[in-house]
Formats: sequence, C-alpha cells, structure tokens
Amino acid sequence: MTERPVQDPRTLLGEALKRFRRHKLAVASLALLVLLSLAALLAPYLTPYTFDGQDVALLGMPTPPSLAHPMGTDHLGRDNATRVLYGARVSLLVGLLSALIATLVGTIVGALAGFYGGLTDNLLMRATDVVLSIPLLPLVIVLSGFLRPNLYLLVLIIGVLGWMGTARLVRSQFLSLRGRDFVEASRALGSSGIRIMFLHMLPNALGPILVSTTLSVGGAILLESALSFFGFGVQPPTPTWGNLLNSSRDWLDIAPWIATFPGLFILVTVLAVNFLGDGLRDAFDPRL
Amino acid sequence: MNLTTFIVKRVLAAVPLLLGISVILFGVLHLAPGGPLDVYADIPGVSHEALENIKRELGLDQPLPVQYVKWLGAAARGQWGYSIRTGRPVAKDIRERMPATFLLGGTAFLLALAAALPLGILSAVRQYSVLDYTFTFLSFIGFSMPIFWLALMLQSLFAVHWQLLPSAGMYTIGDGGLADRLKHLALPASILSVAYMASWGRFTRASMLDVFGLDYIRTARAKGLGEREVIYRHALRNALVPVITIVALDFAGMISGAVITETIFAWPGMGRLFIESMNGRDYPVLMALLMIGSFALVAINLITDIVYSMVDARIRYD
Amino acid sequence: MQGLRRFVSRTIWSLCLVIPLAGMAAAQERGGTLTVALNYDLDTLDPYASGFLTDVQATFLAGLVAPDHDAQYVPVLAQEVPTLENGGIVLSEDGSKMTVTYHLRPGVKWADGEPVTSADVVFTWEAIKDPNYLGPEKDGTAEIERIETPDDLTAVIYYDGVYSGFKASLFTYGVLPKHALEGKDLNKDPYWDAPFGAGPFMVTEFSRGQHVIVERNPYYFETDANGVQLPYLDRIVFKIIPDSNTQTTQLRSGEVGFAYNVPYTSLATLRNTPNLEIISAKTLAFRHVTFNLRNELLADLAVRQAFAHAIDRTTLNRALGDYMLPIDTFVVSTFAYASDDVPTYGYDPELARQLLLDAGYAPGRDGVMEKDGKRLSFDFMTQAGRAEYETAQQVLIAQLKAIGIELKPDNKAGAALSEARRNGGFDVWYSGWITPADPIDSYVSFYATNGFNNGGAYSNPAADAALYAAAGSLDPEEVEARMHEAQQIVLSDLPSIPLFETPSIVVTTNKLQGFVSNPTNQTNFRQVAPWWLAK
Repeated sequence: MTERPVQDPRTLLGEALKRFRRHKLAVASLALLVLLSLAALLAPYLTPYTFDGQDVALLGMPTPPSLAHPMGTDHLGRDNATRVLYGARVSLLVGLLSALIATLVGTIVGALAGFYGGLTDNLLMRATDVVLSIPLLPLVIVLSGFLRPNLYLLVLIIGVLGWMGTARLVRSQFLSLRGRDFVEASRALGSSGIRIMFLHMLPNALGPILVSTTLSVGGAILLESALSFFGFGVQPPTPTWGNLLNSSRDWLDIAPWIATFPGLFILVTVLAVNFLGDGLRDAFDPRL
Repeated sequence: MNLTTFIVKRVLAAVPLLLGISVILFGVLHLAPGGPLDVYADIPGVSHEALENIKRELGLDQPLPVQYVKWLGAAARGQWGYSIRTGRPVAKDIRERMPATFLLGGTAFLLALAAALPLGILSAVRQYSVLDYTFTFLSFIGFSMPIFWLALMLQSLFAVHWQLLPSAGMYTIGDGGLADRLKHLALPASILSVAYMASWGRFTRASMLDVFGLDYIRTARAKGLGEREVIYRHALRNALVPVITIVALDFAGMISGAVITETIFAWPGMGRLFIESMNGRDYPVLMALLMIGSFALVAINLITDIVYSMVDARIRYD
Repeated sequence: MQGLRRFVSRTIWSLCLVIPLAGMAAAQERGGTLTVALNYDLDTLDPYASGFLTDVQATFLAGLVAPDHDAQYVPVLAQEVPTLENGGIVLSEDGSKMTVTYHLRPGVKWADGEPVTSADVVFTWEAIKDPNYLGPEKDGTAEIERIETPDDLTAVIYYDGVYSGFKASLFTYGVLPKHALEGKDLNKDPYWDAPFGAGPFMVTEFSRGQHVIVERNPYYFETDANGVQLPYLDRIVFKIIPDSNTQTTQLRSGEVGFAYNVPYTSLATLRNTPNLEIISAKTLAFRHVTFNLRNELLADLAVRQAFAHAIDRTTLNRALGDYMLPIDTFVVSTFAYASDDVPTYGYDPELARQLLLDAGYAPGRDGVMEKDGKRLSFDFMTQAGRAEYETAQQVLIAQLKAIGIELKPDNKAGAALSEARRNGGFDVWYSGWITPADPIDSYVSFYATNGFNNGGAYSNPAADAALYAAAGSLDPEEVEARMHEAQQIVLSDLPSIPLFETPSIVVTTNKLQGFVSNPTNQTNFRQVAPWWLAK
C-alpha cells in the first residue's frame, strides 16, 4: 500500500461522490436496488394477492403468465409475482444483514490485529487463516443443514463465516495508518486505544470497507439462495428466491416460467450489487 | 535465511493450521443436535438397545475430546473410519468418487482457461474498446449468476425441451463410449466453468493492465519492440503468475463448485457424496470430505507461496 | 412384536390395482434387460442395515414367506405358510407361547450352487441378533428363544410369546447364506459389494451413486406352468436417479423402463408419452391429521370435530394431483377388517363453525375463534422438505382459516421431527403412516395409551383393550371383531383424522408384462421373477 496523504474525510466523500456519479452503470444499479427494496417493503400495497393466498379455481396445476398473473400461478393457485416480491424481502434482508455482520466482525478483528500488531495480530490472523481454509459452501451447508436455522440464525451463519476478507483488508489499512502523525499525536495526548482505532483511524478506512460490504451483499444473496435451493435454508411457506426455485424444480417440465422469474431476480439483483460495488471502488480508490 | 529453511518453516506453520481446522470441523459436526444415528430415527422398530450398540461400536458414547483425539490419531495414520451409511471404509467411498469429480472439474477448468485467458488478454490490450466493455459486462453477469439456476434452465432447454443432451449421469449404462461420455460431460462442465471463466478473465485483464504500467514494459515499448513481442514475450509471462495462483486456489476449492453441479446433474462425484452424507448424517464421511477440501486449500496456498518466493525475487524470506 | 417396518417418510411402496392381463395372451419371452429408476441414493445392499426400502434386495434375497399383491403371505423358501390349521403354529398348553415350524422346499440352491438348508435359517437369526451386528433392523429376533433343526429342511422356531405378526419380520427380508458369511464381520464384509442369496437374481455390479446391476440366478428354484425356469428377465439395471425431472426425462426417452412413486407433477408430461403405462398402485399407506391432546383446546372433542368437518378432501386431493383415495378409517381397504361402520365427518364448514359456536367460541377481532381469551391458534407440524406434505399443509391452513382456526406452520426434519412426533412436540400434525402386511402392531403403536408412536397422548382403555386383543389373537374372526370395535372407538374419539389412502404411481414401458405390484414394504420386486419384456 502506497502512502497517501490523509485528507479531511468530508472532502474525500465529496470527491468520491463526484467520481461515483460518473459510473453510469453503478448509478443505475443503485436506483434499481432502491426501487426493488421499496417494492419489497411496499409489497402488500402493490399486489392484490397475498403470498399464501390460494385460488381454489386454479388449484392443482400451475397456470402460465397472464394479465391477472404476470408471472403465472403455482400449483396451489398462488400468484407467482406476489411470491417473488415477498421473496425479495427475505433475500434482500439476508443479503444486507449478513453482509453487515460480516463487516462488523471483520472490521473489529482487522482493527485489533492491525492496531496492536504482535501476538494479537498473529493470533487473529491465524484464526482468519483457519476459517479461510475451510471450503465455504460445504461448511455453510453442514451448519444450516444440522441446525435447521430460522431466518436470523441463517443470517448469523452466513455473516459469521464471511468476515475474513474484511478483516484482512482493515488490518492492512490499519497497518499503513498506524505510523501516521495523527495517530501518534492522539496517542501522545493519552487517547485510549479503542478511541484512536474507531474515532481516528476507522474513518480513513471506510471507503474500502464500504466497497467490500457491498460486494459481500451479493455473495450473501447468492449463498442464501443456493442454500434454500438445496432445502437447507429458509423453509417454506416463507417464500425466498432460493426456495421458490427449489419448489419450481418439480414443474420444470410443464411450467418452466415458475423457475425463470426468481432466478432472473437473483441474477439482476446480484449484478446490480456488483456494479454498485464496482462504482464505489472507482469512487473511493481512483487508482484502480 | 535460505530457501530450504523458508520451506521448512512454512510447512511446519501449516500443521497448527490444519489442527485448528480439524478442531473446528469436528466441533461443528458433533455439536449439532441429533446425531449420526438420525438416519434410523424414522424407523421406530429399531430398538433402543440396537441404537446403544451402534453408538458404542462407533465410539459415540465417549466424551467429545476423547472422540476427537481418537479420530486424530487414526486420521494421522490414514484411517478415516467407516461410513455410517454404507459400512465401508470412508477412504474407499471417497476414492471411488474422486475420478468423477476430477473429470468434471478438470474439464470445466480447461474450458474456463481456454476462454478466460485469450479474452482477458485481448480485453487488456484493447482497453476501453467495445470488446473490452462487452467482456467486462459479460464477466459481471458470469459471477453474478446463480449457478444452480443456470443449470436448471439449461437442463430444461437442452435435455428436457430439445432432448439434445442427456439430463444427468456420467454415461449410459451399456454404452460408455467416448462420444457418450462427452455428451454427458457437456452441460455440467460448461456450467461449472462459467463462474471461473468470468473471474479468471477479469483477473487476467487486471493483471495484464498492471504489468503494462510497469517500467520495463514501457522501456521495451520505448526500445521500439513490436507490440506483439512486448505483449506475449514480456508482459504475459509476468501477468500470468498471479492468474495461476487464483486458478490453483480455485482448483483446491473445486469441491464447493462440485456440490451444486454434481447434485443437479446426478454426477457421481465427491460433491454429491457430500450431499448424500449430509442427508444421511454420515459424520465420518463429512469430516473426511471437509478435511480433504481444507487440506487442498492449505496445500495449494503453501505451494504458491513457495513458488512465488522462488520466481519472484521481490519477496524476501522473512 | 414389531412396529412399523418403515415409514412413508422414506419411500412409499406400491401395489397393484391393475393386474395386467397381457401376459396371459402371449407366450412369455425369456431374456432382456429392464432398467429401473431408484429415486433414492442406495446406501447399502444389506437389507437389515439399509435406511431405505429393499427394492434391490428383494431381487436377490428370498425369505421363508413373503406378502403378495393382496398383502397375503405366500410361501417362498418354505413349502407353506405356517398356520394353526396346518400345524405350522403350535401354542403351548397355557396358550402363552408359540412354536412355528417351517418346512423348506427341497432342492433349493443359493446362486453359487450350494444347497439352502435349515442351518442357514439359524445362521440368519443368530447373525442379525448378534449385538456386534450394527444393522438396526433387528425386529423379530429378540422374541425367539431358540431354533431347532431336526433335519436339513426343517426349522422349528420357539417364541417367548404369541405374536400374530411373526411373519412380517426377520425371515421375510431374506435368509442369508451361512457358507458365505460364517465367521465374517457382517457389518463390513465385501460380500455386500456383490451379494447373492436364493432370490431370482444376483448382484453383479454395485457402482455407488450410479447403478446396481443384478443378473439371473442360474440356480433359482421357481419355474412357470410350462416348467420354464424363472426369472424371465436376464438382467435388471437399477439406476440411481434421485431427481424427479431426470427420472421423467429418462422415462420419456426410454432410458428407464420402470419407475414407481412417480410424483404427480410428472404425470402431465408422461401421460402424453406413447409406449408408457401409468398404473395407480394401491399401497398400505395413508395420510392423517393428528392432534396433540395435551393441548387443552384440542382436548375438546367439539374442536376436533369442527376441524374434521372443515377439511375438504376433494379440494385437497386436487392440490395433491387427484390420485389419492379418501378414507374414513385408519385401516386401508386392502385389509378385510377395514370397517365402513364408523362415524364419518363430511366437509361442512357451516356445521364446523356451528360446533365451535355451540362450544362457546366466538370470532375474535382477527377472525380467529376464541373463548375466555384463548384463541384457536395452533402449531402445525409436517416434515420439512417434503413437497407433497408441504402442499397439503398449505391447503389445510387455508381450509381451517375459513372456519376461524389459525394454523401456524412449524415444520421439522430428521431427529427433530422424530423427537417431536413421538413426544408430542406439535399441536396438529400432518403426516403419513405405512403399515406392514400385518398391521395390527402398528395400530397399537398409534392409538394405544403406551403406543410408541402415540405422540398425541391419546388414551382410552376401551381402545387399548380392543387393540391388544386383536394383536394377540391368531383367530381371523376374533381379529376382525376386535378391529371393528377399535375403529369405532378411535373414530368417535377422533384423536386423529384419517384422510387418504395413498396409491403409488408406477410408470412402466408398455413392453413390460406380468408385472403385479406389491403394496407392502417388501416392494414391487418381491414378485419380480415372472416379469418379462415383449420384443
């Protein structure tokens, strides 16, 4: 990491915003994600159906997309569009919350390691290596398969197993900041370690942290949907994009549209998140 | 400090790492509610006595630390125990599944490399061209893609709707000729390669751009060397080192990708064995598979470290 | 003696409504390979250790007796099924114990040419009973005191009590060859990689995760009416295909010629495929909604009756593919003592609401009925991850909502499910049972006060008396009378609502002849020897 002059975080933010606005795809992605989140939040007002409301007349066979049901209905006569919309709630929630948990854990571990160095650093980084060396997907499958988690436990599992990248990132940021004048100055003024870490050093590392958080939202959404797809994640009747895809498998042959929409939503959402992350990286780290 | 000492030091450092991993995995597998005898939980005719016998025989009645030490001792001698589901040695069950996974993973890797390298290089050479933008966009789609969904869609199109390719399995029983095997391999291998293709392609591009910015390439260009020669003789060789690292790490992590693809395409490899063992709570097999997966990651990390230190003089042995 | 051999939760078995007549018109042809889809990942070929039904095992192991397409026992390696009348069963003087004598068919050989003798019967009992043998299927071993073998073809089994269900256990699954296994570790012996028995086929290849190939046993004892040695088929390939889409695709392309428990979701496609036969085969399985009577609101009979009248079996059946058979009692129609003289609860939501109002309930603000501040809101459990169950659950939730009862899904799987099911960790539970060909011990386990599957804590001494009397009797008339009594009592008390008898959908190539399905846990393949393929 090359030395960089420390700037007032506010100016930094202003410049970052300017650079971010130039990344058209990222701006569009942000708009899309906001729109999707709003739609998910306002789902009850956007659709005349409930996510578990059955149309007895349509029971037994899925029906193809129509004006009344733009994504068709499933085998219980439930409106697929409504279920996809409600599924967005869970998928987005899991993505956001677990990325936040991962960031929180990763930031604390990385900050401690980078700030104190020595034995602390050594121990924490070896622990990071250990978790990083276990193949992620199988480990998550084992945990959620055995624990049969509810939504929040699932968020915790995904979050707690995703902090290692952030930890390494924050550590390297802190290592480079440690010797700076303003840190030395606060130390000389008798500030506590915690105070220096989180009040003085952390704001300078926020940019890269934000980028990595954003990217891990995408990863978490993919992971949740993969888990639910295998039946190890969120259980029906709560719809998530993953378990909607899971139940669509039985009808793949005669009603492929049931599988098409939730998958498209996962793809588009994760794509938008990745573009957003790319835009943020451009904004905060202009060298790349 | 010379190279040998460095290697010895790194190898020794991997031992506590592997121990840590094994403790975590053992804990995760054994602290979960229920137990490996869950498989029989749905057969009420199974007597309590019979279950106690099985428990004793498998050592499940002993305290966890004792079980761990016993497991560790046996594992160190290459004995991975017996599968609870099949009653056969774990090593045998896994060895039978390995070739299938390597065949699928290897094919996917070759496909991904064959596409990612040229595209990544071309993209970097023609930075900001239409090709570069298209490739960038496609690679974003590639690593945003839910692989299981792509698999489902392509399976539905190629196998169910058009009936061009077999929907599952490794070969047709009674056929098994080369053409037959290739047909079975086509869908799962291409799907498994998508994510790698996207990520390696991006990586190659970034790595090439990094190298282009370096002094010696500028010098080479200034000396008037042909663009072709600059790119392929000088830049590429250096740019490929980090790419190879990523490829190697992905190779070690093959089991993660295999879990999804093998399950959907009923491919009889380690990934599917993992899911079967999950459903059957087959702890010895799960433990062995996870350990093998972790061991591969640790080993590849170690090897790339060592190789780096040999090829790249900028890294000192400290 | 033995409980349920297996549960619906693993695999449903199948049987025959339709007995194909084609085989009688044409002469049977010998030869050919039948490819069968197995929809689970076979763990082991040891029938006493496998967590699945014994489809493959039934092709290579033969028992002393076996249940046929009507769930009636017929002799296999034995010359006849022992009964009181033919002297095969002898009761002790005080009537507290019984002795069962089997006479083996002379001249029967194992697939390696060695003769089958009564020593093999003793060996099988001892091997399975051995505490060092880890297979969990030890049903029927503990009740045997000793086995005497007066000669090579006679086995006399001394029981420590009277067990009407003695046939359903140990010796039905298959007698093991002593000469191949004696002194070996039955848990791990390589014998199980390519096992053989005295059944019509023998295993030649077990490729894990992929397929099992069984080939004709050259020494198989059975012949057809013309003296032609069975089986007709040369070979059966069991392909392991857990995914139903793949199974459908391979049935359509002809890569698979036989599949059972085909999910109804596949039928729409398969119906339009020429060259396939679709058979709805009866099984001994039924679906039910069971109450936990520890819940004080559910302890009220009026609430349970309202529940029963709120269920519309016709709509529910439509959601499940319209192939289930509605029933009013817990005894499936295959058994002679299924009673049609029980209280019935037809779909009548008005009556259901009225029952609740009469019991003092009134609709609360959210539409859920309540009394004294207690709402009719219950945890509703079913097996997580099982599509049919989850579908039924969601339809039932909607139907009960219509009369003001709220059901909240609380699904479980694996150990958590078994634990909750046995110890009452549910308010309301939707599931399936499947009984063996001798089902009375199972009924005891469901409805008797101490029954080990009575998770809802139902208890009525009159029901206990009737059930135990039926289980301990070898007299068919007594059994029928007592079972009618038991059904009358249980259906009046309504601790559980029987909903459907559950057929299995079998799809075969139309070339397959002579197939007769089997409703029991012995699987369709118990009678595989006379199957043949038209050219």
